[in-house]
Amino acid sequence: MKVNSFFIALVIVNLLTAGSLKAEILAKSVKADLSAFNKEESLWKNAKEEVVTLMMQPMVAPRPKVTTTEKIKVQAIHDGNWLVFRIRWADPRRDDAGKLGEFSDAAALMFPVKEGPPPPIFMGAKDNPVHIYHWRAQYQYDEEHGKKEMKDIYPNMSIDMYPMEFKDPGKVKGLTKEKREQYVQGQAAGNPQSYAKHAVDEIFAEGFGTSAVIENVESYGKGVWKNGEWTLILGRHMSRKNGSSLSVGKDTHLGFAIWQGSHDEVGSRKTVTMSWTPMKIEK
Amino acid sequence: MATVKNWQISRDMEYPYDEHRPKRQWAIIFDLNKCIACQTCSLACKTTWTSGKGQEYMFWNNVETKPYGSYPLAWDVRVLEKLGKQEWKKNEPYYGKTIFEGADPTEKAVHFAPKDEDWMYPNVGEDDCAGTVVAGDHISLPHDKWFFYLPRTCAHCTYPACLAACPRKAIYKREEDGIVLIDQSRCKGYGECVRACPYKKSMYNTYTRVSEKCVGCYPAVEQGYQPMCVQNCIGKIRIMGFVNPPWKARNNNPVDYLIHKLGIALPYYPQLGLEPNIYYIPPIHADRDYLAQMFGPNVDSAIAKYKKLKDDPVAQGLLVLMGSSDRILHSFDVVAGQATGYDEKGDKIVSVPVHEALVERPAFDAKNGTIRNNTP
Repeated sequence: MKVNSFFIALVIVNLLTAGSLKAEILAKSVKADLSAFNKEESLWKNAKEEVVTLMMQPMVAPRPKVTTTEKIKVQAIHDGNWLVFRIRWADPRRDDAGKLGEFSDAAALMFPVKEGPPPPIFMGAKDNPVHIYHWRAQYQYDEEHGKKEMKDIYPNMSIDMYPMEFKDPGKVKGLTKEKREQYVQGQAAGNPQSYAKHAVDEIFAEGFGTSAVIENVESYGKGVWKNGEWTLILGRHMSRKNGSSLSVGKDTHLGFAIWQGSHDEVGSRKTVTMSWTPMKIEK
Repeated sequence: MATVKNWQISRDMEYPYDEHRPKRQWAIIFDLNKCIACQTCSLACKTTWTSGKGQEYMFWNNVETKPYGSYPLAWDVRVLEKLGKQEWKKNEPYYGKTIFEGADPTEKAVHFAPKDEDWMYPNVGEDDCAGTVVAGDHISLPHDKWFFYLPRTCAHCTYPACLAACPRKAIYKREEDGIVLIDQSRCKGYGECVRACPYKKSMYNTYTRVSEKCVGCYPAVEQGYQPMCVQNCIGKIRIMGFVNPPWKARNNNPVDYLIHKLGIALPYYPQLGLEPNIYYIPPIHADRDYLAQMFGPNVDSAIAKYKKLKDDPVAQGLLVLMGSSDRILHSFDVVAGQATGYDEKGDKIVSVPVHEALVERPAFDAKNGTIRNNTP
């Protein structure tokens, strides 16, 4: 098929040019508590910054027509229990979504779950899952300020009455939380997307379109946008039951993805690494 | 891409998934000659389904004035413009491109992505007619200054673009009635369905951060009742039923009869390739070129047949059955001036006279010795 040969050509071009092939990330051991966000700049002074090349996701439609994020700069440190990344990339506009047709800036870090040769870079494969840490500016807003109410998204919107909020003191009692939730379909269906989020979603996937959010999160993320650049600190616990489990001295592989909301990037419209980036965790 | 059969354009076409027709297919027919844009359907839907947070702007059912009305803004002309000029000759299959066939390799469908402001004017162009009315104008047929009302729900398409475009496969078409639903627990709100649906009937909820759409009132349909927008139509312009493809059409099925047997109810924008399952009896006085663009080249014959309905007692009976019951009519007959609708088991649901008896009351009431008048 024409389309397949086009993808293969793209992959080959990328393999020839991708910095990610050359990049190898070394997580430096530091003497500090990394179990929560640590803003101390000196932690990073010995961690070598690697440049990793990305390209527009070429495998499945819908996909972007241009590569918006060509490269990211990655550093890593660990304290023996927690592994922390600092990822920086250029993005001319800060987007944390909200209104209709707006999308959030985001980044994802992917690890193979099984030991041995890593699965296909395209979000794993059947019986060979990947463990993804997905940070979104939108989710970080939830964590810092709470989930946006309609008045936060549309301050000038006027609404007569939400029936589920109706009360009349002495006459009509308000609905219970459960009953009110029935009017918020995403929540009534238990969709984690519809609740206030932790800044980082942890996800398992076995190929494109199969991602499923994990409930127990052992990770944190904090992105700061300044002068056209995001700096994201993303930390994860090294040993994860049923997930990607790492240990000091052991090698692993990394995959990256970036979304720029200002370019309507969301879901499969993203820039990605087309090959795994090897990583060592310093003893 | 698979090759699938699309009877509305009389040819095979490309679609991302194999052809799989449900056991039954939900469908609504609207008689546009009768719609007065009272918006009772819109409100029936709104109060039933979209009174929550993030749904303030949503009208799963809306009524827009054509040609200038649209919700979201200019959805139809923008999709047609993106698809580019295509031709469809009378009595021939449509050989132009569908939105699936015309799509760039990076996309699943030719589309435009509506922004925030595009959703803000649900009644833009309302009652605006095409052309300027100047002194001395008079009515001629078809009207040279025209407009008509177009009520719209999700078309629960046989080949939904929303379903094709969802990278998470969170959209599915039900086997039992062909209703297309977004799994509210699986959707991640990428908005691909909002982009891909050419009719713009998938809508993003900014509060739940997932997309939503018309659910075809499936809880009612499951119990044998028509959707709220149909039940509440005061003009009785609508009928909901289960449409068969032409090769399985049943002449005693109300919707099959209007769509296949008579050919007076046509799908809208069939050239986009989705095989939509809302059908329209076109307005007889509006501009024919515009109608042909919207309903395809069969619009002339549909209007010609509609004008002859007065000679067809069965069709007349069926039009009287429209709006005569809240329940779904699976079959009907017209015998001795009486039109009757039946449920799935063949039990009678409703029976109405094709012609109401005319009662003439003399102006003078002899019994009470008084003059009758119409003052309430």
